[in-house]
Amino acid sequence: MTENDQPAAPVVPHTGEDGQSARMVRADLIAAVFLILLGAMILYGSWTMPRLEQRHVHPLTVPGLVPGLLSLALIVCGAVLALRSVRSATGGGWQEFWASLNSQGSWRVLAVLALVLVYTLGLVGSLPFWAATALFVFAFVAIFELWITPKPRPMLPSLAWSLGLAVVTSAAVTYVFERLFLVRLP
Amino acid sequence: MFDGLQLLGEGIAHFLTPLSLLNVAWATLLGIVIGALPGLTATMGVALLVTLTYKMAPDQAILVLMCVYVGAIYGGSRTAILLAIPGTPASAATTLDGHPLALQGKAGMAMGLATTSSALGTIIGIVFLALLAPLLGEAALRFGTYEFFWLALFGVLISGQLTSLDDPLKGYIAGILGLLVAMVGMETLHAHVRFTFGITALAGGVDLIPAMVGAFGLAEILAVMKRTAQAEIASSSDRVIPRLADLWRYRVTTIRSGIIGTIVGIIPGVGEDIGAWASYAAARRGSKERHLFGKGSQEGLIAAETGNSAVIPGAMIPTLTLALPGSAAAAVLIAAMFIHGIRPGPLLMTENPTFLYQIVAILLLSTIAITLFGLSLTRPLLLVLQVPRERLMAVVYVLCVVGSFAITQRMFDVYVMLFFGVVGFILREMKYPMAPLVLGIILGDLLDLNLRRGLLLTQGDPTPFFTRPISMVLWVIILASILMAIPAVNKRVRRLFNTRKASSPDAG
Repeated sequence: MTENDQPAAPVVPHTGEDGQSARMVRADLIAAVFLILLGAMILYGSWTMPRLEQRHVHPLTVPGLVPGLLSLALIVCGAVLALRSVRSATGGGWQEFWASLNSQGSWRVLAVLALVLVYTLGLVGSLPFWAATALFVFAFVAIFELWITPKPRPMLPSLAWSLGLAVVTSAAVTYVFERLFLVRLP
Repeated sequence: MFDGLQLLGEGIAHFLTPLSLLNVAWATLLGIVIGALPGLTATMGVALLVTLTYKMAPDQAILVLMCVYVGAIYGGSRTAILLAIPGTPASAATTLDGHPLALQGKAGMAMGLATTSSALGTIIGIVFLALLAPLLGEAALRFGTYEFFWLALFGVLISGQLTSLDDPLKGYIAGILGLLVAMVGMETLHAHVRFTFGITALAGGVDLIPAMVGAFGLAEILAVMKRTAQAEIASSSDRVIPRLADLWRYRVTTIRSGIIGTIVGIIPGVGEDIGAWASYAAARRGSKERHLFGKGSQEGLIAAETGNSAVIPGAMIPTLTLALPGSAAAAVLIAAMFIHGIRPGPLLMTENPTFLYQIVAILLLSTIAITLFGLSLTRPLLLVLQVPRERLMAVVYVLCVVGSFAITQRMFDVYVMLFFGVVGFILREMKYPMAPLVLGIILGDLLDLNLRRGLLLTQGDPTPFFTRPISMVLWVIILASILMAIPAVNKRVRRLFNTRKASSPDAG
């Protein structure tokens, strides 16, 4: 696979060439700092991990060996990423980075996350599973078809669809898993 | 040789029962639908179905999972051709020529060619699987602790490098993060519990299935819902069943793409998408109609679809013989096999010699199924493409929750899914590949245990890691590939070769 020259690198259609990269350079810097911190914490954890001397464990087979080595590798990779980001930075990268966080796409992601978190951490467990599921599906479909969308659908049919899908999903999942596959649901 | 043929015959006969054939039919069809729906990938489909097949007999469960896998990789081509959106990442290369063909009013022909190419690609891969896996299995019996350490490292690194071709550093980082995830929980050499922060549920480590459902399910839902644009479906009214003359004309491309796909499949953690791109690039370099590529070339379409389908049997080669997953979906299959008491690895051929040929038989049956469904069900599959993603994704998330909960029945695994979904989405947005991460989670234990066991056997002397013949080959490859990933080194080596190439005709 490696014998060929550069054109072997596939012609992957990258989305939005230049804006993407200026912004990505900045995102890389943040990621690099985070990776270095994570690596340092793991390194500390590995170094202070019990070496089991009282069990006469050979010093090169202590439990902290591999996590320690991996954290070093992570720190090195993070440092290279940071260095590369600083060296290739161009003007306007930060503005583009913040702008991309404030885009419509990001708000849609946050909305999905909010729905998902409320459902998983809040509703499941406090309500019966079928009720939690029906509520989640109804809210998800209704919110994304009527509210957070560039082209809202007509109100009544969409609400009917959300309701129908919620009932069908909740009933089907409960029936299939609890009755057919005999799996307990959360 | 004849033993092999006999075992193959038994493998096929084993599945010629009404129940198995019914399972092949529904699982392959479900796979095609999963593949055709943008936002549902093969890996996610297989991961979610591990739960559904939990109570089935082991052979039927593996049958269903394999059929979903094959169906999904094929099904993505439908979306690529009609919507210009790859249904799964595997058919990204298919969009380049498939959609232009559809716009020229040849959608039927494109769908037909995609179907036959997928079938032929799988068959070429199957031949190599049946021939190579027993040989590799035998060779793997001679692998010891030292070799398995290097193999695990090799798998994660090479996957990191090849799934992130324009930026190997991010592939490496993803791989290291995966390996670090595997460090959580009780280690196997001294039974010491690491990095659990007092959470008892973490003592057993992070389970692969919930992590995969998160990284490939929830992360995908977030990515799909982020987009606002909707795609238009191209109309199709022409003949779907391809002409034999067309297939014969591109026989060289088909065979070459099949072989490239199989090789890509064998490389650990490098999956169908890379198989398709690699054979597409090779086809374009060797083509007489190069100018047509990207504008509706039949040859490009054939190369992409043959290439991605051949990866599946290819990926099963290291998966079965070394327990080294050849693709992300194969990683889920390994987890599923363990759940059903089948242990892939060097001992598989001695413990369970029929299993390899059962896999071959399953792949053959599912190939027949995709050909039949693909050429006949064009209209019903069009309906699938019209499902609005808002409605689909809500239901899919419910399945993600159930799928990660059901196997061990604890809410903790649902939280694991949630964590990997969010982290996976952020990593993906920043162009970190997912496959090395998954491979790291699977291979971390192997790497950790074998490094320290090797050092224990030699009382701390690392020389056998470097001097044993197979080990030496592995570490030299690893070192070379890391060095070549460093731009400065790469440039110098390239220049060295170029000057030599330029000067050799004069000298000779």
